[in-house]
Amino acid sequence: MAEEFSTDGMLDMYLFENGQLLEQMEATTLDKKDADAFDDSDINEFFRVMHTIKGSSGIMMFDDISRLAHKLEDIFYYLRESHPDNVPHMELVDCIFKVTDFISAEFDKLREGDDPDGDASDLIAELDKFLKKIKNEVSASGEELPPENKYVAPSHFYIGPVSTPDSRFYKICIYYRNDTQMSNLKAYSATYALKEIAEDLLYSPEDIMTNPDSSDIILEHGFKMLLQTQSDKEAVEKLIDGSGVEKIEINECTSEEYLMGFDVPVTIANGKEIDLDSDVASIVAKAEGKAEPKKELEPGDFVIKSKTPGKPKQLAKNSKEKGSSQQFISVNVAKMDALMDLIGEIVIAESVVLQNPDLKVPGLSLNNFNKAAAQLTKFTSELQDVIMSMRMMPLANTFQKMNRIVFDASRKLGKDIELKLIGENTEVDKSIIEHISDPLMHLVRNSVDHGIEDNKADRVALGKAEKGTITIEAKNEGGKVFISVSDDGKGLNTTKLFKKARDNGLIGYEKKESDFTKKEIYQFITYPGFSTKEQVTELSGRGVGMDVVVKNIQSIGGQLDIDSEEGKGSTMTLKIPLTLAIIEGIVMSVGNSTFVIETNAVKEFINVRENSMVTEPDGEEYVMVRGQAYPVIRLCERFHLEGGQTAVENGIMVIVEHEGREVCLFVDKLIGEQEIVVKPIPPYIKKVEGLSGCTQLGDGSIALIVDVGGLF
Amino acid sequence: MAEVIEQLTDELEEDTQKGKFMTFRSGNEFFGIELKYIVEIIGIQPITAVPEVEEYIKGLINLRGKIIPVIDVRVRFKQEPHEYNDRTCIIIINVSGTVVGLIVEKIAGVVNIKDDDIEPPPSLSSENGKNKYVYGLGKVEDGVKLLLDPHKLIKYEDLTVVIDSDEETVQEDV
Repeated sequence: MAEEFSTDGMLDMYLFENGQLLEQMEATTLDKKDADAFDDSDINEFFRVMHTIKGSSGIMMFDDISRLAHKLEDIFYYLRESHPDNVPHMELVDCIFKVTDFISAEFDKLREGDDPDGDASDLIAELDKFLKKIKNEVSASGEELPPENKYVAPSHFYIGPVSTPDSRFYKICIYYRNDTQMSNLKAYSATYALKEIAEDLLYSPEDIMTNPDSSDIILEHGFKMLLQTQSDKEAVEKLIDGSGVEKIEINECTSEEYLMGFDVPVTIANGKEIDLDSDVASIVAKAEGKAEPKKELEPGDFVIKSKTPGKPKQLAKNSKEKGSSQQFISVNVAKMDALMDLIGEIVIAESVVLQNPDLKVPGLSLNNFNKAAAQLTKFTSELQDVIMSMRMMPLANTFQKMNRIVFDASRKLGKDIELKLIGENTEVDKSIIEHISDPLMHLVRNSVDHGIEDNKADRVALGKAEKGTITIEAKNEGGKVFISVSDDGKGLNTTKLFKKARDNGLIGYEKKESDFTKKEIYQFITYPGFSTKEQVTELSGRGVGMDVVVKNIQSIGGQLDIDSEEGKGSTMTLKIPLTLAIIEGIVMSVGNSTFVIETNAVKEFINVRENSMVTEPDGEEYVMVRGQAYPVIRLCERFHLEGGQTAVENGIMVIVEHEGREVCLFVDKLIGEQEIVVKPIPPYIKKVEGLSGCTQLGDGSIALIVDVGGLF
Repeated sequence: MAEVIEQLTDELEEDTQKGKFMTFRSGNEFFGIELKYIVEIIGIQPITAVPEVEEYIKGLINLRGKIIPVIDVRVRFKQEPHEYNDRTCIIIINVSGTVVGLIVEKIAGVVNIKDDDIEPPPSLSSENGKNKYVYGLGKVEDGVKLLLDPHKLIKYEDLTVVIDSDEETVQEDV
């Protein structure tokens, strides 16, 4: 197992961290796409992101990515340094997207195990043109051009390790007596000694071991070191070998100065400032510390990396926003899944112990056992809650991607569309998020392409705002997540849909439109090979898609609901279970089989008498409960089982609810309530309508989980 | 590294298993399955029936926390079903990732059959070619074993049935 995780550790880390940076950058860009320009903090952020990607891609030898990132970094460097006020904002946004798209595509290739073989030359040329354009405009207006941002060889990329609030920073300068032989070796032994306590150590000249001339430089200018450590000054002094040393200067400095390198005079800061600064530094270091620290240093790097010292306020503000990111660690999903499985097994093992037949000996005193068992139950259920919450992720990221899709699609189609996101903080199990991303994307594209009117005049004529609106909303209700995509566009035309369905042979010619309800007709669009769009566009209209969406959603136990009003718009709602793993269930038996129903779905249990049963001539049964009639499903008949009870007095009715509809299930016997670990029915057995999975009970036998929605 | 070793051991195992067949009795015939498909053999277990599936799929068993579908081979071969007794066994096979249990009347042991001793079945009817789960006749000293192709054995009789029923699902949902 361990080898599996570490083989591609570098690459995984590279993809994960830079992927996150890219996402973050895309999100910010989308956020500001309608503004007139990016503000300083955005430009700084982009600059940092590009710089990090350039550096780490260089280390990984992905030259095209590195070169491209460098080019974009150049643009932001220019923007940051000279604040040109006539930048074509849309073009800049386009440039950013092209770059993020290119890099994302390369990352995808890497994830698949392919080589990142994309050629960035065209894109680089394009960015170059853009840069020249904004530069020319500026220089024409007589302003001074900033110095060119030099491309630093990526192999010497240096990144400082993360510092803690306890870290202290020292500038050390050792002067050796002029007659000292091999001062470079002495200097080296000093660095060697300091490495013991150093969190970070830089020195100048840095080629002391390889360059014999360095000893002369040391004699002349002294040997300079920058040290980050938690030890105090005395400890540092003690470690440095005293032989041949004329004078040692050790000055404590702030992290800011520390990051500036060697050529900045030391100021002694008061305690408060150090605190604030080290916080900022740790964030800067964290945001940039994406690759393995290397102990070589190219002094020039610091110039780029350090924050402009003139903006302490902004830095402090940034640090507050991003400080929480230190609270997160990233964990391999496979490990999480393994943990999840283990906890599932523990839950099963627990019920095996607690319901052990050995405990059923009559006259056995179990007081202490029961106390201990209750304790155990409490902890295992807490354990479950914790692991569940670990797997929960807000939908915000997925929704952000939709932002991009609307932006792209609406620009391509020349439609003016606003995207509203509601409830993006709703949390869903990670495994589910992975499954809904694609379907959601499809629904959003459909809304952009088919939903919103092509012509603004059409909208105005109907009394709607010129700008189309698409709303993505997520909410949590009764153990399910509802995600709806609604647009205020044309809506669905039932007559058109019906005609199309008949032309495509999805329904027989003898059927009339009135044979179907509105919702039934809407469902036609989820059939394979159905597309109402007369013309195939780049985005949609080929008639593959909605059926795939439905298949994907069904595979995770979800549903797609379509509602629409012609002229006013349509709403597609995905109903998805919150989690796939552990549910509370009621165990019941029918004949020789055991079934489980999700506790959430059960309204009540009731014993009824024969005289409250009503049977229609066609065999449909109802039961009257407190003056209300419920349809009855006898599970043994529904599943064609033998040996079930037939007389209603001998069994029990379970009233279950699904989406506001209630139905009475007739079962033989209730066994109890239990937490169950949902396992899929092996795919070899084709899907049975009304069953959603299976589980292992305390005694090791298997129970089938009833899918209440599938019974209707 | 670990992967390489695994691959090597896999190859070695396959080599030592080559030409070996697990044979079992079903009705009056003896059948054989190549040893490499076989995971393990267990005694008959309590089986949880699954409603509305093909008759030969008897249901699910719980094998140390793994849930595995089981097929009754007699029913699959359209022979008369029989009562399970203490000789009845479940052969767990793994056919390219699909793990399935086969309920068989009686295990008859492992035999060596050389490639030269395997002949294709001299079938008269060509139309049932798609369901040919017997791919060869293996000649051994005391008779002939019908050699099974597990891929075809676990395949559904007719895949269109599955697709049809899927479409029904959609309509029922409406």
